[in-house]
Amino acid sequence: MTTGSAKRDFSIYLRREPVLLALLFGLAVLAFLAVGALSRIFHAQQDALAIRWSTRGAADLKLQHFESAATEFRTALLYSRGNFSYELGLAQALIGQKRISEADAYLINLWGRRPENGLVNLELARTAAGRGDTEQALRYYHNAIYAPWPGDQEAQERNARLELINYLLGINARTQAQSEMISLAANLEDDPTQQTNLGALFMRAKDYEHGLAAYRRALSIAPHDPAALAGAGLAAYELGRYPMAQRYLQHAVEDAPGDTASAALLRITELVLQMDPFRRQIRVAQRDRSALDAFAVAGKRLKSCPHAAASLAPAKSREDLQAEWGKMKPQMTERGFRNNPDLVNTAMELVFKIERTSNQGCQAPTDADVALLLIAKLHEGS
Amino acid sequence: MDSLSDSQTASIVEDAKNASATPDVNLSPASVLRSIFREERFFLILSVFIGIFSGLAVVCFRFLIDWFRIYLLGSGAVLSPWRIILAPTLAGLVIAVLVIHFFPQSRGSGVNQTKAALYIYNGYLPLRTAIGKFFTASLAIGSGHSLGPEDPSLQIGATLASALGQRMRLSRDRMRLIAPVGAAAGLAAAFNAPISAVLFVIEEVIGRWTAGILGSVVLSAVSSVVVMRWFLGSESLFRIPPVELRRPSELIAYAILGIIGGLASVAFASGIGSLRPRCKALPQWTQYFQPAIAGLLIGVIALLGGPQVMGAGYEYIDEAMHGQFTWQFLAILAGLKIIATLLSFVSGTPGGMFAPTLFIGAMLGAAVGGAEHALLPHLHWSPGTYALVGMGVLFAGFLRAPMTSVFMVLEVSGNYTIIVPVIIANTFAYVISRALQPAAIFDVLTRQDGLELPSMEEQREENILRVEDAMQPASAPVLNHDDSVEKAARVLKKGKQNVVLVRLQPGGWGGITREKVENLVRQGKSSELLGILLEDQHIPSLHPDQPLDMALRYVDRWPLVPVVNRANLRKLEGVISQRDVLERYRDFGGE
Repeated sequence: MTTGSAKRDFSIYLRREPVLLALLFGLAVLAFLAVGALSRIFHAQQDALAIRWSTRGAADLKLQHFESAATEFRTALLYSRGNFSYELGLAQALIGQKRISEADAYLINLWGRRPENGLVNLELARTAAGRGDTEQALRYYHNAIYAPWPGDQEAQERNARLELINYLLGINARTQAQSEMISLAANLEDDPTQQTNLGALFMRAKDYEHGLAAYRRALSIAPHDPAALAGAGLAAYELGRYPMAQRYLQHAVEDAPGDTASAALLRITELVLQMDPFRRQIRVAQRDRSALDAFAVAGKRLKSCPHAAASLAPAKSREDLQAEWGKMKPQMTERGFRNNPDLVNTAMELVFKIERTSNQGCQAPTDADVALLLIAKLHEGS
Repeated sequence: MDSLSDSQTASIVEDAKNASATPDVNLSPASVLRSIFREERFFLILSVFIGIFSGLAVVCFRFLIDWFRIYLLGSGAVLSPWRIILAPTLAGLVIAVLVIHFFPQSRGSGVNQTKAALYIYNGYLPLRTAIGKFFTASLAIGSGHSLGPEDPSLQIGATLASALGQRMRLSRDRMRLIAPVGAAAGLAAAFNAPISAVLFVIEEVIGRWTAGILGSVVLSAVSSVVVMRWFLGSESLFRIPPVELRRPSELIAYAILGIIGGLASVAFASGIGSLRPRCKALPQWTQYFQPAIAGLLIGVIALLGGPQVMGAGYEYIDEAMHGQFTWQFLAILAGLKIIATLLSFVSGTPGGMFAPTLFIGAMLGAAVGGAEHALLPHLHWSPGTYALVGMGVLFAGFLRAPMTSVFMVLEVSGNYTIIVPVIIANTFAYVISRALQPAAIFDVLTRQDGLELPSMEEQREENILRVEDAMQPASAPVLNHDDSVEKAARVLKKGKQNVVLVRLQPGGWGGITREKVENLVRQGKSSELLGILLEDQHIPSLHPDQPLDMALRYVDRWPLVPVVNRANLRKLEGVISQRDVLERYRDFGGE
């Protein structure tokens, strides 16, 4: 190939394809810029519409107008497809409408995108709990507890754990609930309300010891907190620590005179303390008097409920109890106690037997009967 | 290995030529440029630009559809009754005026126009059509007509590509191919699915797989999708729920879906096929009102409880996939969408059928799945899986693109677990649709428009004649390279044939005629070896499975062409002559 022909070829190609491609490239850049400008206008409008509809959705969600909230979030998603918070809002609205499977579809999708998101995990835990899938519920609740939450991390974590505890108590998983409560107690602030709430949860789990401890922590910060006083009184009562219960309940009733439950509990507690012939550091006369009172209450209980005793207790046993009580009654005098030092024990055994038997099927026991049952429990167990 | 066949040899020679065309550091700048800008390479570069421009056009098309929707129907998900009625009706009037007076080629979906460009107009598509399609289709879809943006995007891409090709003064061969390249770009951007777009264009528009066109189509599709995702994000059209197939027995349920989907496809296609010519045959003045009446009726359907049928409806496909409708309502929606799309399409409103097809398929799929679950509660039911399979079913049954239908579902779902149900259901739908509606919808539309374009479906299933159909058994003995002319004379004397075939060394075949042998004998060359005499006179060989057309290239130059085994090139399977070929073609015509 000669130099001349090479130059000619070169000039031909320079005039044609390369130049055309350069022109195309320039045109493409210009078109890109133009569409980019158009795209900014388009997306700005879409964003504005998305914000407008999602704001309405959030407001409706707060007001629990779930149907309109769902529609509004759906509309917002038309303009901001795949927006995380709008999809979450829509899922929450759907949960509110009890459209759990639809909500789940959104939540699982969101979880796939952000598995560490606390709120998504919490909502998934709720939907799993709703459909009775305990394994999944626990998994998502734990994810939510250990998730990085925006804002007050501790408060969110605490709330998630509280929700889990409530769920566990709801499904009667007391042991798991207790371990969660113990974890919660370790991370709880010195706030009487929080401690009181924790105490109440322990009480629901029938963990009275931890419950009492939580109430006492609350009282150490706010000694006159009526809820903590009532709770501590109840916990001490359940633990059979009646003097302590009396002390807390007295304060509770003094601080909150309208607290009828504590007042009733206080009455029973006082009766327990009065009627227990086995309590320490009392004189013999006082012990005898308590035994006499208890015997009289038991006799009254036996008389007031012959039918129930008949229906529940074996005939022989009922007759035996009546006969036994009638046989013992003449001995139940101060002299009788002096002559027979074991009489108090024998009489109280009969009293406990009568109260336990009558407790099954008779009408509601009187405070005195309840007190006797508690005394029985305190000294005989069960 | 014995030796190379002629075709293999030719391929090696071609490779060598190509290798020599590779730019060398010692070549001049001019030859480097020439090498770079050889037309096929230039075409590949141009394909990228076609993809970019098509992607940009489709992005603008999507913007315009959304703007029309917001301003005509309102920005909320709950539409006002007045807008529902007025928007598609008034838009229909405007569209009719625009189509009749300014953009008459904008009617319909655009797939056939693209095919016509390829087969009739040498790749020429007027730019005006794209402009018309861009505005009229976006107005139609945005105002709530039951049509989709994919087919118009395909046509817009094809037209842009054609315009670029004209400016670039491409050769006629390239110009013919440029429209499908643009079509793939437009479809890929609209559908956000490059593989499906490439397959659809190959399967439905071009109809053949060639390496040259495939590269360009893939490049343009990918570049347009990149552009589209740049501006509109990479999210798929709908959220795909978890897809699972728990037990093989569930495949029966999908087969039932295939059967129902096939029947629905036939109903849909028959409706379009029979109503469209009737609407076209109505007096000219009615053409002004047909889109408006279609819009009014769609508005009424929407007002009566089916607003989901308006527009492309992708958001409702998403909802159906996530079990937000009862199966009864899904079935109603599928029926209403068929009616709404029929109304829109037969009225001549510009817009595509892809989105409605997917909508009907998704609703039908989820409805069938829901009904099966209601009847057989132990059956595992995931509405998303059924909806996805349903989309494929309608694609296979209505658009009759079986391969695209499978890959479309796979590409959209991104899950290969679904492949078996999709293949089973699509096969049933396709077979039923073929049996009940012999012509595919695109072929029906083409013929209604007075064009005779090649039917891709017929091409795919055409029985082609092969060499084995015409070849004759080799009756005469075959001579070897070390045999003499005298032996050849003896063989020819014994038999009636005029040619004897010779195995040459190290490979290949030769042939010697009776006349030539007699001349050689007369010249006293009886003892000469055939291998030496025929050393530079190789004749090409054929294989039994090759198309008979290929034999035509050789039989007029060589009286007898050997047909050899592919595994052993020295083993003769038969022979073929011009007479054999012509007789076979004559018999085939009679068949």
